[in-house]
Amino acid sequence: MRFPGLVENEILKFARQRRFRVVVLILVALIGLIVFAQSRGRQRFLGGKDWHVETQERMARIQNGLRDGRMPETMQRWARFELDRLQYHLGRDVNPDAISGPLFVRGFANAASYLLLPLLAIVFASDVVSAEFAQGTIKLLLTRPVGRARVLASKLVAVLLAITLTVLFGGVVAYLFGGIAYGYGGWEAPVLTGFRSAGERLDPAAVRSIALWKDTVLAYGLAWFAALSVGALALLTSVLLRSTAAAMGTMLAALIAGTILPRLAPSWETQKYLFVTNLPLPDYYSGTPAPIPGLTVGFAAATLAAWAVAALATAFFVFVKRDVLA
Amino acid sequence: MSTAGTLSGSSGEIVLSAEHLTKRFGSREAVADVSFDVRAGEVFGFLGPNGAGKTTTIRMLVGLARPDKGRVRIRGLDLSRDFEKAMGHVGCIVEAPDLYKYLTGRENLLHFSRMLPAGAAQRIPELARLVVLSERLDDKVSTYSLGMRQRLGIAQALLGNPDILILDEPANGLDPAGIREIRQLVRHLASERGIAVFVSSHLLSEVELTCDRVAIIHRGRTLASGPVRELVDRVASDRLRLIARPARRAMEILAPFGAAEIAAEETGADGEGAIDARIPKEKVPDALRALTAGGVDVFAVERSLASLEEVFLEVTGGETV
Repeated sequence: MRFPGLVENEILKFARQRRFRVVVLILVALIGLIVFAQSRGRQRFLGGKDWHVETQERMARIQNGLRDGRMPETMQRWARFELDRLQYHLGRDVNPDAISGPLFVRGFANAASYLLLPLLAIVFASDVVSAEFAQGTIKLLLTRPVGRARVLASKLVAVLLAITLTVLFGGVVAYLFGGIAYGYGGWEAPVLTGFRSAGERLDPAAVRSIALWKDTVLAYGLAWFAALSVGALALLTSVLLRSTAAAMGTMLAALIAGTILPRLAPSWETQKYLFVTNLPLPDYYSGTPAPIPGLTVGFAAATLAAWAVAALATAFFVFVKRDVLA
Repeated sequence: MSTAGTLSGSSGEIVLSAEHLTKRFGSREAVADVSFDVRAGEVFGFLGPNGAGKTTTIRMLVGLARPDKGRVRIRGLDLSRDFEKAMGHVGCIVEAPDLYKYLTGRENLLHFSRMLPAGAAQRIPELARLVVLSERLDDKVSTYSLGMRQRLGIAQALLGNPDILILDEPANGLDPAGIREIRQLVRHLASERGIAVFVSSHLLSEVELTCDRVAIIHRGRTLASGPVRELVDRVASDRLRLIARPARRAMEILAPFGAAEIAAEETGADGEGAIDARIPKEKVPDALRALTAGGVDVFAVERSLASLEEVFLEVTGGETV
C-alpha cells in the first residue's frame, strides 16, 4: 500500500541531488558535439558526389586492402562482411550512408549502447544504496516499519525509471540536434537490417528491409534493455561494496575492459558469456560481424538477462540478510 | 523474566524486552547475554563506556543487526519474525541523527512519513512545534546546528506515534543548553505521553538526571540494573564522612570498624579534619561511641550519597568512563 510512496522518496532523492542535472547536461553537450563534428566532417567527405559512385569507390578500396594480404585475420573477416553489406545496399538501391535526423537518432542508439548509456546507468545505480550508507541514513531507512526487500525494490524501481528516462531523453535530444543538422523528416525510409554472418560470409536470407521508425524503436528498446541490465549489476555492486566510489570504479573498469577485450583477444571464445561483451545489443541486431562467433542478438539479450537476474537475486539476498553496522 | 524487570518499581506495561541478547564479531563477544525490560512511561538508561556494546545492542533492538542468540520483543511481537508490525511501535535514532542534508527539515519528515501508515504527515506541524523547529523547517538540514539535527531526529522518531522511543547517545556533541532541552523533552514524552524511552549514554550525570531505571553495561555484559536510586543506595549505604579532631586519632579508632582515610586536603592545623570511612550501617553507633570514649571531638557525621559515577566505578572495577 505504501510502495508508490517509497518510490516517490527515491525519485525525490534522485531529483534533489546534482546527479540528474549532470546527466542531462552530459547528454545535451555530448550529442550536440557529435552532431556538430559529424556534419562538418560529412561536408568534406562527400563533396557532392553521387552515393552510388562513392559506395563503389569504397568497395574498391576494401578489395584492394584484402588483396594486399597484410590485413590481420579479424580485419579480413570484417572487410568481407562490409563488402557484402555494401553490395547488398547497391543491389537494393538503398544508400548505406544516407543521413537524416531520424537516421542520426537511429545511429545514436548503436553508438550509445556500449559506453554512454551504461555509463549513465552506472551513475544512477551505483550509489543508490551506498549513498545511504555514506550518509548514515541507511539506519533510518531500515528501522521503519517497511521490510528491507521493499526498501530495495523501491530503489530498484527508481533506478529503472531513471534509466528509462535517460534513454528516452537521449533519443529526443538526438532527434532535436540531428534534425537541426539533417532535417526532421524521413521516418518512413526503408533501412536494411539483420546483416548476419553465416560462417565467413554474409547470410543474405537474414537481411530484411523495414521502415526506419520501426528499426529505431527496436534499437532503442535493445539499448534500453542493455542499460537496465547494467543498472541491475551496478545496484549489486552498490549493495556489496557500500561505497559509491568503489562501486562506480568497479563498474567502469568492467565496462572499459569489455570494450577492449574483444579487440585484444578475439580468439578467446568464453568471453561471449561475460557481461560487457553482450552490451552492444543494437549492433548485434542491425548486423555487424560478431566480434566472437555465436554472438547473436538473441544470445546476447539472454546472457544479459541472466546476469541481471542473478545480480538482483544476490543484491536482494545480501541487502536483506546482512547486518548494518555502518 | 529478566532481572531488570524484577528489580523494577515501575508499574507500566512492558513495551520492549531484550532477552539474552548475544552478538559475536568473529571470536569477540560484543554483547553477551544482555536482558532488560522497558516499561511504558519510564525513561530507561543504558549506561556504559564507549565500546561497551551499547550501540551493538541498540542495533539489535531495532533490527539493524541480527542477534546470534536471544531475541527482542516489542509489544510482545518477535522482532525477527514480525519486523514490520513490531517496528510500527518504534521510533529511534541510532548513533548520530543522520538525515538527508540536501533536503529541508520538512522534506525529511515527509520522506519518513511516506514509510509509515497514512496520517503520519499530518503530525509534522505539531511535532515541529514540540521540538521547536517550526521556523527552520523549510531550511536545508545542511544549515542546521547539531542540536537542531538532534531535535529533527527526535521529531522523525515520533512521526509514527511510537510506544517506545530509542535514542542512542542523544546528548553527544550538544552544549549544556542543548542537553537540557533534550532531557526535558525526554522526561515530557515519558511522563505526559506515557511513551517508554530507552536512552543510551556514557554520561553518568546525564543518566542520573534523566532516567528512572538504568542498566550498566561493560564489556558486553550488564553488570547491574535497577531503579537509579536503588543502585545509588547500594553503594552509598556504607559511606560516611566525619569532621573530627584530632583526625589522626579518629582514624585509628575507626580502623577496626571498616576502611577509613583522611581526606588530606581538609586537615587543619589544630588536627581537625574530614575523614571518609566505609563502615557498615549497623556498626556506625558503636564506632561513634568509641570515638567519644577515645577523646575525639566529632563535629559532624553525614552519610554521603554516592553518585552514579561511584556505582559505575564500583561495578566496573574502576575502569575509566
